[in-house]
Amino acid sequence: MHEEPLTPDHVLAQLEQLRKDYFDRLPRELETLGALARQLADERGTGEGLASLHQRLHKLAGSGGTFGLSGLSAAARALEQRVAGWIEAEGLPVDTPLLTRLLADIEALAEMAVAGEVDGMRLLARGPAEATRGEEGRVWLVDDDLFQGQELARQLESFGYEVDLFPSLEEADGAALGGERPAILISDVYFEPGGENATVSISGYAGLMALECPLLFVSSRDDFESRVHAARLGAQGYFLKPLDVPRLVNRMVQLVEQRNAAPERILIVDDDRELAAHFRLVLQAAGMQADVLDDPRSIMDRVAAIRPELVLMDLHMPQYAGPDLAGLIRQYESWDSLPIVYLSAETDLGRQVAAMSRGADDFLTKPVSDAQLVAAVRARVARSRQLEAQIARDSLTGLLKHAAIKEAIEVEVSRARRTGKPLAVALLDIDHFKAVNDTYGHATGDVVISSVAMLLRQRMRNTDIIGRYGGEEFAIALPDCPLEHAKALLEDIRRRFQDVRFSHAGRTFSCSLSAGAAASTQSATGDGAWLLNAADQALYEAKRGGRNRVCVAGDATSTQVTES
Amino acid sequence: MSSLQRILYVEDEPDIQAVAKLALEMVGGFQVKICSSGAEAVRDAAQFAPDMILLDVMMPEMDGPATLKALRQQPQLAEVPVAFMTAKVQASEVAHYKSLGARDVIAKPFDPMTLADRVRSIWEQ
Repeated sequence: MHEEPLTPDHVLAQLEQLRKDYFDRLPRELETLGALARQLADERGTGEGLASLHQRLHKLAGSGGTFGLSGLSAAARALEQRVAGWIEAEGLPVDTPLLTRLLADIEALAEMAVAGEVDGMRLLARGPAEATRGEEGRVWLVDDDLFQGQELARQLESFGYEVDLFPSLEEADGAALGGERPAILISDVYFEPGGENATVSISGYAGLMALECPLLFVSSRDDFESRVHAARLGAQGYFLKPLDVPRLVNRMVQLVEQRNAAPERILIVDDDRELAAHFRLVLQAAGMQADVLDDPRSIMDRVAAIRPELVLMDLHMPQYAGPDLAGLIRQYESWDSLPIVYLSAETDLGRQVAAMSRGADDFLTKPVSDAQLVAAVRARVARSRQLEAQIARDSLTGLLKHAAIKEAIEVEVSRARRTGKPLAVALLDIDHFKAVNDTYGHATGDVVISSVAMLLRQRMRNTDIIGRYGGEEFAIALPDCPLEHAKALLEDIRRRFQDVRFSHAGRTFSCSLSAGAAASTQSATGDGAWLLNAADQALYEAKRGGRNRVCVAGDATSTQVTES
Repeated sequence: MSSLQRILYVEDEPDIQAVAKLALEMVGGFQVKICSSGAEAVRDAAQFAPDMILLDVMMPEMDGPATLKALRQQPQLAEVPVAFMTAKVQASEVAHYKSLGARDVIAKPFDPMTLADRVRSIWEQ
């Protein structure tokens, strides 16, 4: 019935043409929308005018989304719902101030569409799933108490964030409609005068609702209703005042990291080659790193090399059954909590239960839909990452704890030996930290520690590993990094840290740090312990040389001291 | 009910009509008829004899659920599988639409490259 098979390229070209036509027509549509809103504002919202406006906003929400203008679509949807609310409430005619604000929002929408046109075209190439990400490190803080707001902004800035402070949701909304994007939005809950509750009213602000960044609330009151509203909005945190700033920052760092999280690593064990290849493709298409085990006898080598976060295991295989291999994995202490999920056509509940009792965590029944497979794998990995983070990570900084960073360094050393690429390891220590604690108190000391953690996260790559090695000591591992690069990086961190201004009770002060580094290339056989020891010696050199400096192993000359 | 070939799509928004037509005809290889309103669907559907019907929920005058009700009164269309297309897909709403006799709900905006697969999998349910 249909002539020739069509290539995806052909379809994409046609879609592209449709989108172009749409973008050509969009400005006129927005103009009409604006005219309609102006007329309404003049006439104080009659039923008919509202219905027509509602219809147009509805169309814009639908078509905008279809053509990849997700921000415009979400903003139009929020306005559509606002108008629908008025129509349903039958509170006609609508108050003039409300209509004036609607008009302003629609005009802002038009501006956003013009500004977003380029965005829309770019989104086209990337597909609708990837949305525009806010500028990294940029935080919007909405608080009507300017004194408190400025105080929090200043503290966040000392953690390396750039903070825009808004006195009202309305002003933040205006910035959002103007096309600006934060990485995180933090809002106070209660606004005076009038007692506006942000967890309730925020859904009326089209621009803010269209932001695709994490949302956090801060409040001086702990009430159930507001917390429920916040949860419904999908807010990722609710912090009580007076704020524990390092904890807040820790959450913020986690949120940004989750967004930039490394792909899930999955090992697929299935004797049906075709099916295994299909699963691999499905998981890879979802952005995961998936590998197929070819020979069951090499399973532990592959596990050690890939370090999977989940094993997807066929239950029935001719030579070695799934439970045999699962049991074998569990014999190795370091893998006894690796999630294993069976995948099989088995529908007999009794046999599933028996299989689960032998080392596996879950059971997916074939045929499994692609979406189900991705969702099941993703949810399991996310949960196990969270658990792992709680066990292995330091609660103040969110960095790996002593044992975990040591283990990670051992893993990286063997990887470096395998790949022949240099691994650099460094230790950093805050200078005279005891004096900070004694003079300004432990809470301020914690801020100083967190700020080093924050700085390290900002300056290092995704593949680098960072740990809190001791009280005020940090360890980092830099795979595929020659010693001189590591030294330059540490120099940069040292310089930035000495520029950070901390404050306590109106007094500002700064700190410094010393660092020592060593590389795997400096010894043919040295293991993680050797590298850490060599880095520690270099750190000792840096301390002895007067602090606030970087030394590397085997190099007696330290970097220039910058006296302040 | 041998195979899925003929799809009737009821949608008032011309831009979405065009993308859906492309997605279903070019990617899916289906034969597609578009109706721009519920009334038009009620008038023309039986003659087209669709294997499946896709209904936009929010349309002026006759909305998706009202159109479904009217279509179901025609004997030739009483059993044809129907899916609603809507931007609001909360679980409770999906359940509501299913209770009206729809087989499933497709979220808008849809991905043009996978819409045909989604429609086929609903039809096979």
